[in-house]
Amino acid sequence: MKNLVTEEEIAQVAKLMKIEIEDHSEHVEKVQKMLQYFDILDKANVESEKLENPGIKLDKLRNDRYISYDKKLLKFLKIYKEKYVKAPKLS
Amino acid sequence: MTKIGLEIHCQLTKLESKLFCSCKADYREFEPNMNICPICMGIPGSLPLLNKKAVEKATLIAMALDCNTPPQIAFFRKNYFYPDLPKNFQITQLNPDGYDKTSIGWEGKITVDNKEIRIRRIQLEEDPGRLIYEGATERTKVTLVDYNRAGTPLVEIVTEPDFENPHNVRNFLNILSDLLENLGVSDPGLDGAMRADANVSIEGGPKVEIKNIGSFHDLEKAVHFEITRQQSLTERKIEIIQETRHWDDRRKITISSRTKEEEEEYRYHLEADVPWVNIDQKTKKELQEQMPESISTKKDRYISKYGITSQVADILASDKYFSELFEKANNETNAKDIANMVTTDIMGLLDTREKRESSKLEAEHLSDLVEYIRSNKITRSSAKLALDEIIKNGKPLLQIIKDLNLGHISDESTLSGIIAQVLSEEVKASEDAKQNPETVNFLVGKVMQRTHGKADPESTLALLKKNLGIK
Amino acid sequence: MNLSISALDYQTSIKNGDFTVEEFISKSIEKINSVDDNLHAFLLKMNDSALEKAKEIDCKLKSNQNVGKCYGMPISVKDNICVAGYRTTCASKVLEDFISPYTATAVDRLQSEDAIVIGKTNLDEFAMGLSTEYSAYGPSKNPWNTDYVPGGSSGGSAVSVSANECVASLGSDTGGSVRNPASFCSVVGLKPTYGLVSRYGLISYANSMEQIGPLTKTVKDSAFLLNIISGIDTNDNTTRDKENQDYLQDIDAGISGKKIGIVSEMTSSEVLSDEVLNSTKDAIKTFERIGANCENVELPMVPYAVAAYYTITSTEAGSNLARYDNIRYGYDFNSEGFEFNSYISQARDKLGPEVKRRMILGGFVPSAGHAGKYFLKALKVKSKLISELKPIFDKYDFLISPTVPIQPFKFGEIQDPVQFMKIDYNTVTSNLTGKPAISIPYKIVNGLPIGIQIMADSFKDHSLLQAAYALEKTVELPEALI
Repeated sequence: MKNLVTEEEIAQVAKLMKIEIEDHSEHVEKVQKMLQYFDILDKANVESEKLENPGIKLDKLRNDRYISYDKKLLKFLKIYKEKYVKAPKLS
Repeated sequence: MTKIGLEIHCQLTKLESKLFCSCKADYREFEPNMNICPICMGIPGSLPLLNKKAVEKATLIAMALDCNTPPQIAFFRKNYFYPDLPKNFQITQLNPDGYDKTSIGWEGKITVDNKEIRIRRIQLEEDPGRLIYEGATERTKVTLVDYNRAGTPLVEIVTEPDFENPHNVRNFLNILSDLLENLGVSDPGLDGAMRADANVSIEGGPKVEIKNIGSFHDLEKAVHFEITRQQSLTERKIEIIQETRHWDDRRKITISSRTKEEEEEYRYHLEADVPWVNIDQKTKKELQEQMPESISTKKDRYISKYGITSQVADILASDKYFSELFEKANNETNAKDIANMVTTDIMGLLDTREKRESSKLEAEHLSDLVEYIRSNKITRSSAKLALDEIIKNGKPLLQIIKDLNLGHISDESTLSGIIAQVLSEEVKASEDAKQNPETVNFLVGKVMQRTHGKADPESTLALLKKNLGIK
Repeated sequence: MNLSISALDYQTSIKNGDFTVEEFISKSIEKINSVDDNLHAFLLKMNDSALEKAKEIDCKLKSNQNVGKCYGMPISVKDNICVAGYRTTCASKVLEDFISPYTATAVDRLQSEDAIVIGKTNLDEFAMGLSTEYSAYGPSKNPWNTDYVPGGSSGGSAVSVSANECVASLGSDTGGSVRNPASFCSVVGLKPTYGLVSRYGLISYANSMEQIGPLTKTVKDSAFLLNIISGIDTNDNTTRDKENQDYLQDIDAGISGKKIGIVSEMTSSEVLSDEVLNSTKDAIKTFERIGANCENVELPMVPYAVAAYYTITSTEAGSNLARYDNIRYGYDFNSEGFEFNSYISQARDKLGPEVKRRMILGGFVPSAGHAGKYFLKALKVKSKLISELKPIFDKYDFLISPTVPIQPFKFGEIQDPVQFMKIDYNTVTSNLTGKPAISIPYKIVNGLPIGIQIMADSFKDHSLLQAAYALEKTVELPEALI
């Protein structure tokens, strides 16, 4: 490939993925190397390849029935004031 | 040339369960976070299980809107972080590059106000949860989330920008609501069951999207406002920016949404946990056969079979509740009368969902009423009173006539007695009627008043004329 | 009572009354206590519940009640597979306090046959790795030489079986994560056909490719476990019917007359270390000696497979791990006062370095503007690989190669990320194509294990096990010193 992906681009993507990278150098270098390796895909000559899937029949799907799940599921979750899940405020 | 396009989200409230799990599709009766399970909460290790009926119903919608439907459907992930998304991605449909079309329908059409509105795409997807802000002000410390709605099945309908004015839009939405209700897939009257966003452009200018519109009523307003805003900018030779705006319900204006720091990047890719589903011609044919009669076909049938006027047929066919009532109550000979009674009297009395739900009126009541009116056992105005009672307590008509003493007065002797009384009281009016026969209706009215509407109008008129010696 | 016993021999011993379940479980717990401080195969030991269950089963046996096929054998479960009521951490700090509300189907099926889960094993964080060096709770060590890695990502599973801490283990294989550590620790590791074993309860890393697979001491044990865990699960729509296949039936049928393809790209001297190359040549001779016809075969897509694999798995991982925002579950970190985006980034800062790198890759390669170059191309390579294999499997019954191009390496020895990715060179093909593959212990060279991999066509897991058994019969290997 022509140029390695830039640090700014990596920082942008990290933000998109909600990942903080403090040890910039190590991460950036490794990511650049990995992406550079992926360039090998250009040589694979697969442009004309069609993406297909055998699929399954409609009748194999789940039937439309209401089944109540065990209420004790709530104990495994972070529930606030025993009703809601609390999330940080949105800006 | 104004161009308006719509993106409508419709919940499939008539399904029993959510799109990918067995929690209830209609979440409205539950306390917060009481309609959840590992799947719709995205608990690690859980897997989505596609609802067969959702696929069938969505395909019905696609067919009703005259869309192309694929031999295989597939689902994709739309990835972004938001507290109402339990997995921080939404399972939805797409027709991305590299794949054959796999969304539930595309390139359909529907006629509104004699104009063809093109449907670009229909897709099946899951609704996110709901956010509640603690304290309703800007300074909220925390966001509260209720996931009861997360995973509810949604059908998204995207139109081409074929609408020309807000009025078109409103009509379309009404037609669409009726269609969806008629198909038995959704109850559009439920709060939040149908939501829509719009996009507006004028004179070939840039497209502005409007989001956060609470109701169809607001949609019409929002579109109207936006058109005006854009026209005003153009007149002042100010450039219209292509952007997303949101509807401020309080101030009734559209406001530019704060521009996001990064572009929306959804990293779309196939949802590998949901297999591609083959929908063959045989299945589609079966679904087509199961499809309830369309509103327009119904209307035509009412006109041709029952001789009902086009206007009445239109109103009747568009309303599922009343068309069902009509079909049950009529026996072909009384069809016109039933239809008229429904559209003239009953629709006004049962104009809200609550009233319909608590109404005790049955088809039998209707046919009895019409029969009684025909055979002069009760007057039209008494019938109205009777209707009120029936709706309240559902008692048989005979009983109600007795209870309220609504019996029809048409025999000569009783009527004559009453007429004589009225004539003696209304001396001036009697003289006027003798001079001016048209004014006799005033006296008819008085007789009706005196008898609380039970007097038969025709007999009364005839007797009055005889009494007054007019033709 | 020997802890190195196979699952099927254990079954026989219990039935014969050679020892009780409680005795065996107690001894296993002793073994774990004596070696695991050093080896660190386990992240969670379930001693109390194991003993309790053991007593129950002994009771049932005494009173002649029906007992499940597993007769209380101790198994370990990789810690990215859920067991109800217990922590499932995926060897990550972000799930430090996550207790699973339900049990994975594969584990549930084993428990229904009275297998006893004796503990949860260590892995590379979120199954992303090849050496278990990336566990947030510290690595596991190879019992053959504790200076060396046990392989990964199911390192803990392989160690627990190899060191006789338990009889068998359930791991997960996304790009070689069952076969690689099996090869490095000299145990049998099977990746079944995609769709044969339910993934319900397996915490997703790359859901289009991963499968739960058994790590066992013998091939027969592998077939035995596969019988129990495989088959359609209504909780997983990607599972397929196994049509009542009994994987133990005729397992000793042998491979006389079978055609075997030696994958050139996976067996060339450029790719393999000398020791592995020599062992491979030896294995080929062995296959021919037991009646198979071996031939070189070319798979031109193989050199692109690693890049395609990492592109696709990073994308899926980036999506599958997005839910770990610590809002609904995770670990203790109060969100009050924080703004949404900054809280999430801070909460996810607990993710380890390798996971972070994959998140970044996973954000990059499918993004608009780059998807055409990377992600879409990778999908097309995957597709072409599948169609390439069609005529190959028409002609050949099996494909072989060494499982890993190199022998186990020392901790910290491989730092270059591309070199690291290439350790998967021979294993990713079966994940990309969904086809079953198994690693059989073949040689010990310089004190370190080498495994041979056999691959078969989709849903030919039964034939695969027959071939594996045939090879295994020719091999006589020592046990690890620990």
